[in-house]
Amino acid sequence: MKMVGQREPNVLPGFGITLGFTTFFLCAIVLLPLSALVLKAGGMDWERFVAVITSARSLASYRLSFGASLLAATINMVFGFALAWTLVRYDFPGRKFIDAIIDMPFALPTAVSGIALTAVFAGNGWIGQFLEPLGIKVAYTWIGITVALTLIGMPFVVRTVQPAIQEVQRDLEDAAETLGAGRFYVFRRIIIPTVLPALLTGFTLAFARAVGEYGSVIFISGNLPMKTEITPYLIVIRLEEFDYAAAAALGVVMLSISFVMLLAINLLQVWGRKRLMVSR
Amino acid sequence: MSIVLDQVTKRYQDQPVVNDVSIEVGEGEFFVLLGPSGSGKSTLLRAIAGLTGIDHGRISLHGRDVTHVRARDRGVGLVFQNYALFRHMTVADNIEFALRVRRMKRADRVARRKELLKLVALEGLDERLPGQLSGGQQQRVAVARALAHKPQVLLLDEPFGALDAKIREELRRTIRAVQRELGISTVLVTHDQEEAFALADTIGVMNHGRLLEVGYPHDLYAQPATRFVATFLGAANLLLARQSANGIRFGATPVNAEGTERLRAGREHEVVAVLRPEEVELAATREQLTSNYIARGAVEEVAFTGALERLRVRLLDEPSAAQLLGAGSAAEARVEVTRTQPERRELPLHAGAQVALGARRLHILPTPISSFLACAPTEAEAEELAREPLLESLSTRMKTRVGLRAIAPAAEAAGELIEPLSGVAAIAAGDKAAETVEWLLENGAGEVLVLPRQAPSPSRVFIHWADEAVRRATLAVSASLLRHVTAEAVYLGIVPEGAQGAGRAAPMRKLLDARSEAQQSHGLEMRTELAIGETVSEITRNLSAATAQMLVLGITDIGQAGTAYRSLLAAQPGWPVLIVYRPTESRISPEIAA
Repeated sequence: MKMVGQREPNVLPGFGITLGFTTFFLCAIVLLPLSALVLKAGGMDWERFVAVITSARSLASYRLSFGASLLAATINMVFGFALAWTLVRYDFPGRKFIDAIIDMPFALPTAVSGIALTAVFAGNGWIGQFLEPLGIKVAYTWIGITVALTLIGMPFVVRTVQPAIQEVQRDLEDAAETLGAGRFYVFRRIIIPTVLPALLTGFTLAFARAVGEYGSVIFISGNLPMKTEITPYLIVIRLEEFDYAAAAALGVVMLSISFVMLLAINLLQVWGRKRLMVSR
Repeated sequence: MSIVLDQVTKRYQDQPVVNDVSIEVGEGEFFVLLGPSGSGKSTLLRAIAGLTGIDHGRISLHGRDVTHVRARDRGVGLVFQNYALFRHMTVADNIEFALRVRRMKRADRVARRKELLKLVALEGLDERLPGQLSGGQQQRVAVARALAHKPQVLLLDEPFGALDAKIREELRRTIRAVQRELGISTVLVTHDQEEAFALADTIGVMNHGRLLEVGYPHDLYAQPATRFVATFLGAANLLLARQSANGIRFGATPVNAEGTERLRAGREHEVVAVLRPEEVELAATREQLTSNYIARGAVEEVAFTGALERLRVRLLDEPSAAQLLGAGSAAEARVEVTRTQPERRELPLHAGAQVALGARRLHILPTPISSFLACAPTEAEAEELAREPLLESLSTRMKTRVGLRAIAPAAEAAGELIEPLSGVAAIAAGDKAAETVEWLLENGAGEVLVLPRQAPSPSRVFIHWADEAVRRATLAVSASLLRHVTAEAVYLGIVPEGAQGAGRAAPMRKLLDARSEAQQSHGLEMRTELAIGETVSEITRNLSAATAQMLVLGITDIGQAGTAYRSLLAAQPGWPVLIVYRPTESRISPEIAA
């Protein structure tokens, strides 16, 4: 049969329109503000730019921001996995309740979590009063910041890892067991490698969220320059001083570091996926 | 014996999923566990592997009791339906998994891997990932992996389930060849009877957690003992026939077939006959049949399926039409027929043609429960009784029918029945039950089921007989019943109070005899309990101990139903009671016995 002036029907109709919308919103909401940021930073000369981003105070804030975020994401990766494992593999009274609570940090205004954490971990708080005599200060130190970032990132890890754990078929563990493997061996050689891609995704999300976190941290950190001042807070200070260019410069640095780190993790994942490629 | 299961029971939430299963698999034997999904066959396989604990019984592999040995120390190889390959490892790593766990040297590992890959015809694919292989290749890898550590036993759980027909057959051949070459004792679980026939040295058929029959494939096909095996292993038409001293007949048509069971105590009774579709002969007229005529029929449907032609024939206005099992009402009685191409050429048939049906070979099932007959004073009450949940579920599970019969014991007391009673008579429990039972037994019924209202399906069935003479029959009926309900069987032996020392030894011996007879002759695994005291009160005490209990009661004297056991047949509290009556030899009138 000949096709005369007839377009072949597309499997998914409306491709043109949807692509148009996608591009438009990506530009308007993500790319445009980001380029504005870079442009703004470009408003100052190179020497000043370098001076701003390499000042001792800035460097200390990067270290704190990224260090605490990495630490929090790592903690989340370990305990989020354990939590997800418990929720998927075991049935116990209150399981549904705990499962629902996991999402709370998503919904809570971050400032509220910050204030709550500060109240609990301050020297006279519920937990703080027991830690203080041991010489552990949580509120107003980097430990407090890490605690806040861990809280914020927890649901990201749990929610991404849960379906992956569900997918680890019991059969795999059973097969390994009949082949003579002990529990730890099965965990190390079968379960971890299978869940790893999801775990990395969760880690990435938790990390990205932690780097950008502002609301909860400023309450518990105390914001001492050089000590407990995170980069987002430094940016806000610059904004309040009407030094928009400096704020933008710091923003660009955060953006670049985050981008590089996220890209690295993504590449790692692509490599992992390829190895796990499923074709049935 | 390389694999021995002894009375293995596994329960989930108090429901037995594997119920008292005993199996012996010989050295190098290929044993196929066949059953529908949910029959407990996979659970049993997992129990052998050690992945599922069992609640009762013993498992031993090559003489070593492994009941409490962990899976990893049992030395079995297990292959799963979905392959269960480690997707992040190469074929080589998958196969070497068991060897690495055992810290085998690299050179030995590689040598063993090459050997295994050659065995399953996958040489050269060492470095592939499972995701890059076809389903059939993946399952070959799984087989090689399961054999790597030289297990003593190979277990396969529906290994061909996820594969298409062609590859399935190829892999089947490979597995059979590998199994023969290694001489490894193998248990394969499947729901596919064709697969079972193709692979098995021995087949065990499971349903509702019970192992129904074990045997060579051909024996199970030609001479099944249960209706489930008859219909699950290949297609089968189940027909209700009557067996008397003169032989087998369908309605008024005598059939030249041999009954496998002895005539029960000289009385005529109903039996279930298996007629395989390929054993049905079709001819234009009755005279042209070379085999036993059974009925006339009209061809309803003709389907061409390649080598064979499949027909459905509706039986026409013969009494035998009403006697067909399965389809339900008499109007729908149909017989499945398959014919070979030469047969088809001889007598081409189209839908609507009228034919005479003959049976080349009939097999009479030894099952004592053929059908049910709901008996009540009026037709309406009988209909209501037939809708009782227990009766309905039993007849559905047994693929049999429930007939209706209005009976009037008082009026007919003296007179003869016009139509003989057939199958198990069912009546409602109540004050009059005892009299009705007596009347039914007098008039030719061999089994009577007394049903209280809305009785649940039993979870435990007590078995008791008043006289050793009826032991065999009671066990046969119990076995037949228990094949269709997921209940636990308990033989209740009762010793009169005051019996001491030597007096107790005899009942104890009887108990053990009963158990071994149940197991050997009827394939029924039952527990035994010995109670001391008065018979009826002991039975009542045991029945009252929990809900959903039932009693199978064997008697030799009709009067016993109305006197000694009367209280068991009351509507309140009410238990389903299946009475099995066999007169002792002296009671058979001389003319019937002859």
